[in-house]
Amino acid sequence: MIVDIKEVAATPEAVILQFSGELDFESIKSLVDAFKKIDTSSRKYAIAEVGKISMISSAALGEFMGFRKTLLEKDGDLVFAAMNMDIRAKFTSMGATKIFRIFNDVRSALNAFKWQQGLAPEVINLTFPANLHLVPPVRQLASRIAKQKGYGNKDSFRIETIIDEICNNAIEHGKKGEDQNISVKIDIDQKQIEFDVINTSDPEKLETLKALLKPTHEQKIHSEEKRGRGLSLIKMLSDELSVDCSEKGTVVHVKKVREVKNGISN
Amino acid sequence: MESQIELIYEDIRGKDKAKLIKFIGDLDATNVETVLEKICNLFNEGIYTVVADFKKLRYVNSTGLGILLHFSKSAREKGGCFKIANINENVYEIIEIIGATSLLEIYDEVDEAVAALN
Repeated sequence: MIVDIKEVAATPEAVILQFSGELDFESIKSLVDAFKKIDTSSRKYAIAEVGKISMISSAALGEFMGFRKTLLEKDGDLVFAAMNMDIRAKFTSMGATKIFRIFNDVRSALNAFKWQQGLAPEVINLTFPANLHLVPPVRQLASRIAKQKGYGNKDSFRIETIIDEICNNAIEHGKKGEDQNISVKIDIDQKQIEFDVINTSDPEKLETLKALLKPTHEQKIHSEEKRGRGLSLIKMLSDELSVDCSEKGTVVHVKKVREVKNGISN
Repeated sequence: MESQIELIYEDIRGKDKAKLIKFIGDLDATNVETVLEKICNLFNEGIYTVVADFKKLRYVNSTGLGILLHFSKSAREKGGCFKIANINENVYEIIEIIGATSLLEIYDEVDEAVAALN
């Protein structure tokens, strides 16, 4: 096994470990030595580029886990990049894909790190006609954005559901007409995602909507009725929900905190 | 433009008036009416015993869940049942949050659901 340690000029806190050969039992000492060479007081993000390795033993994987733990304590991580399908299959069989993040290439791994380092949150604004059939692409977009930003599958699915339910409610209770639009603002950073969904209220449905939004209102959650559970679902899936409802319009604001368990996005 | 959903019907061995239905895609507000119509057609043909395979059902929202509860209730009222199997983790969470796990007949595997018909 050969390992080259490379620094990243533009990202001094990151280091790339380029492996080749076999990460077998005999290579453990070289692996441990390589980890020791990394100054963890200044480096907290290690990318193991493993495109040129032909096997990895469970003992070697254990060493990666140990070094990752050291980096996690410094709010960093150890991730893999450029992994071939055989090694990936081995990772899956050992359950390692639930522990380590794996990126297609080093560049993607570096981008993920830059994102983690709390760069400015990203804000996406979009407006679409108040038509039920346009909600699926919007909710799927929100989910993809979350995934791209490192949120886990479960969180991304919950985000998709929240956006779907809010937009469907907005269309159902909002003013009808071809000129009516729904505006969605998505404000995402590495710790949380916030949405504002704005639409024009239908004056005739305003009182019904206000009644639905009262904290004392009991949703038909346990009944076998066909409708009326959307708001409950939003409440349960989000960390904050507020609704500003007036004759001018309705603004639904939702905050969803990213779930991370043992350093892995949920 | 509806979300993509496909319903594949299969017979259940030894059960004349029963169907296995594989749900493939997303079940949401854009296609509930289509699904409702298809299942109601089945009920109209006298088939009130259904096992729904959700292995490839990627997504369901509150509207979709509403019609599943409706199917379950309608089937029971007609002396049949609407059993669901193979639900993915994300969809199950939605059903659980809504509190519908006790209202729906849920099984881990299709075989278990089919065996429960006897």
